[in-house]
Amino acid sequence: MRPRPPTMRTKRRYILARILPYGAAVDQKQLYLSVIEAAASLLGDAAVGLAQPAVVYCDAGYAVIRCRRGAERDIAAALATVTAVGDDRVSLRTVAASGTIRALRRRMRPIRPIPEDEEITIGERAYAVCRYPGQKVDLIEKGIKHQKRFFFSELDLEER
Amino acid sequence: MKITDACIFPYPDGDSTVSRMAIEAGELGFDSLVVIGDAGHRLSSGVEILQGAIITARSIKEVLRDLRDPAVRRADLVCADAGDLSFNRALASTNEVNVISKIHATRQNAFDHVAARTAAERGVAVEISIAPLIHLRGMKRQQALNRYADILALHRRYGFMLTLSSAASSILDQRSVREIRGLCGLFGMTGAEVNEALSSVGRMIEPSGPVGAVR
Repeated sequence: MRPRPPTMRTKRRYILARILPYGAAVDQKQLYLSVIEAAASLLGDAAVGLAQPAVVYCDAGYAVIRCRRGAERDIAAALATVTAVGDDRVSLRTVAASGTIRALRRRMRPIRPIPEDEEITIGERAYAVCRYPGQKVDLIEKGIKHQKRFFFSELDLEER
Repeated sequence: MKITDACIFPYPDGDSTVSRMAIEAGELGFDSLVVIGDAGHRLSSGVEILQGAIITARSIKEVLRDLRDPAVRRADLVCADAGDLSFNRALASTNEVNVISKIHATRQNAFDHVAARTAAERGVAVEISIAPLIHLRGMKRQQALNRYADILALHRRYGFMLTLSSAASSILDQRSVREIRGLCGLFGMTGAEVNEALSSVGRMIEPSGPVGAVR
């Protein structure tokens, strides 16, 4: 099949979103389902059908969501209403919108934890300490799954 | 112009501490935060921390009693949860109350033109929280959008102040100024109105007026 000429193709926009909390393992298909559910709930099936949202990239704490040109504001508003992916609490923060994925890749700044083996106890539960740049400290409950998370800062740990 | 998130609930009510929420708020484009609970430091990561208090009462008599509470008297911003029509009219005429909150949970016409005019005269603001737009689904969110559109129409007619808040108890609930603009666009709020609402807490706490001569 011959491809359509460029002038006849659908114009698209790509939205870069940062996935919070840091280090959350998010499956691309699960993220797609969450985005579609949030968008359809907010904008309705007709608007979402025309906007054609799709998750084209999901890795290293970032997701790239594709949509039809002109619908990027609506889809960005819908992304702000995503609160969970699967069973995990997740938030998507829109960073930028562009016409190419290449331009968005330049905006990606992978955030990695500063490696250490510190542990802290709150109440009777033990939490692993994950430090991130910018004085941020995530406390992750020790366990197998559905661990509770606390979001602290260096200042809070110094005061404890 | 100071961009303020008018209500957050940090640790121990939520899972994020004040200083962490201040770091995130700074990255999201805010200059100050109103903290319900123990605010601690007044400045964190370049973000000003204001102390807030929420009054949840069924009658205006209870509100007046709660206003005498030392914790409420210390607060920079006093919010009171909305109720039925007569209660909201009384709240709008209470000088010590700065903000009428949880207006999305009230019945249709619980905040009418009389309350709107009184609020404009007394400098009482009405809070628009983005939390119902993020967390609710279906009919409940439709009702919240409807209530906010109604409040916006009254605001345009009578000119009372609006405040915008995330009502976040976690950094995962905080949203950037741009995202708030997108969410408020759902019920017809323009970018200029969003900016004005985000800066209204600063205007309430430090009202601009003519400079007086001190002798």
